Amino acid sequence: MKLSAMIKAGMAGLLALAAGVVFSAANAATINVTRCVGSLNKTLSGQTVTFWGFGTGGMMCTGALPGAAIEVGVYPAGSGMSDTLNLTLSINGMTPQENAPYNGHTIHLHGADVATAEDGVPETGAAVGGDTYTWTPTSEMAGSYLYHCHVHTVKHLEMGMYGALIARPKNTSGVFLNQLTHNTATAFDYVQNYVFGSVDPAYHTATGDSTVFADYNPVYFLISGNQGLTTSAPAMTLAAAVNKKVALRLLGLHSVNGTFAVKDGSGNAKSFTVYTQDGRELSAPQTVTSLDVSPGQRFDIVFTTPATTGTWYPQITYKNLRNGTAYTNGTVYGRVTF
Amino acid sequence: MAAWGYTEVAGTPKFPGPTLTANEGDTVNVTVVNNHNINHNFLIQGVTTDTTAIAPGGNRVYSFTASTAGSYLYYDTLNSNINREMCMYGMLWVGPADGSAKAWTNGPSYSFQRMWVVGEMDKARWNDVAGSGGTVNTSVYKPNYFLINGQGGFDGMNNTATTIDGGVGQTALVRIVNGGQFAQSLHFHGNHVQVLTINGARQSSPYKKVDVINVPPLGTADVLFVLNQLGSYPMHNHTAQMETANGVYLNGVATMIIMR
Repeated sequence: MKLSAMIKAGMAGLLALAAGVVFSAANAATINVTRCVGSLNKTLSGQTVTFWGFGTGGMMCTGALPGAAIEVGVYPAGSGMSDTLNLTLSINGMTPQENAPYNGHTIHLHGADVATAEDGVPETGAAVGGDTYTWTPTSEMAGSYLYHCHVHTVKHLEMGMYGALIARPKNTSGVFLNQLTHNTATAFDYVQNYVFGSVDPAYHTATGDSTVFADYNPVYFLISGNQGLTTSAPAMTLAAAVNKKVALRLLGLHSVNGTFAVKDGSGNAKSFTVYTQDGRELSAPQTVTSLDVSPGQRFDIVFTTPATTGTWYPQITYKNLRNGTAYTNGTVYGRVTF
Repeated sequence: MAAWGYTEVAGTPKFPGPTLTANEGDTVNVTVVNNHNINHNFLIQGVTTDTTAIAPGGNRVYSFTASTAGSYLYYDTLNSNINREMCMYGMLWVGPADGSAKAWTNGPSYSFQRMWVVGEMDKARWNDVAGSGGTVNTSVYKPNYFLINGQGGFDGMNNTATTIDGGVGQTALVRIVNGGQFAQSLHFHGNHVQVLTINGARQSSPYKKVDVINVPPLGTADVLFVLNQLGSYPMHNHTAQMETANGVYLNGVATMIIMR
């Protein structure tokens, strides 16, 4: 263990001790989660592409794309209660990684206002051989975040080392609420995470400082690790009911522009309401029919299914950074039936 | 790498061009002298409208009244984006009439401000070709250098004119203009910023709090950064390939947030 990691472990111990005194409310939770890193192959348009995913398991890690979502509770304003997330990254001799100087991995709690020591950035002192990252979100932080590796980020993000991190409202009894924030207007009946990703297979085989990384040519486009090239073969499916509220958490891990919409089978855009951006509730919710999502951004949205049965298709069109031209096969579909 | 630039002193092009400043109500006269061998012009987006070409050896005066506090991009509009690609852009910022450290009259106060001029270059296909007098195929653009205030990576992270470096309790106003052709999705680690203006549109209080600000080509943004915790954090473009210089990591559009 590096000295910096030892000092950090000691600090975490002190913080935990303090937490036992300050947070006397019995219903606040300490959430301990461990992630390892494992290789996985995806078949995209008939081609095999290797990813590194955050997963679970011991020496033989089963990686997932994206990594499983992590939820941490946030309590009503004024309750004085907080959950504490301890997210541990476990690395061993079997962990897929690059050669030095880009060996190892970290976890960056993207969007979380944390101390430098929890930020997971090697260039500001983070250990790359495994560590525990701690976050104690407060009431106003309800919303969507990401966790991702921050070693040689140009490659490791592309390799799929990411997952959703959700600050989700709990009541003072410690029970998760089906709301985006503590504002009851954000209540939902269903919720799904739409993690946006783009794939340039050349980035998956290149390593180190390579000119490959100067020229991004994505050819596969994903929602939550899946291609959904047509409405009949969507990346995401949800069986909902009529007259119900569907919440989608839109998480931008792509490296191009993107525009999200919800359309019916005839291509008519449906209204949805944006309640949060980057883990903060908007002072005035915005009801729109399309939403640009750029790399790193997160939005939480809600739409209400109509009174008659049918199917809607939440979808994102991935676009060129220069002029917003849609990529070939750049629209990825989800499907919500009701 | 070949580049052209605006500057105050003939013979020494700057990238980005010199920062211009004024207060609301000021009359500003900018004289542009073309010492280069092709046509150029000078447009302050949202402020001036004259895009007449200045021939080699010629000059032109641009006069305007600074009317609205905020941040503006100036650039050369000619030559199918090639002149801009060759680095002919910079920032004008306008303060309130009384010269106070506020984003606008009666607007949010700041302790210090930073000017971030961002952009990128396609060295092989644009800069080298235009610099040697060749014809650029403008339909292809594959930039491989990504810059903040003319620098990438550790240079931008160590440049005290770029870093947000101050004491806890201070507030920084960060002015951002994008002179490039790629959208810039800028991520602040460990902190949220308040969005005061986006593409010239002044927002209302309470200001939206974000950790990613997307600035499109020719776009602008003003964000307020409250230094509220000790620590050091990066700010960088979250578009993966824009974190390199010709594929070498860690580079591209990046700087540091240092709170003491």
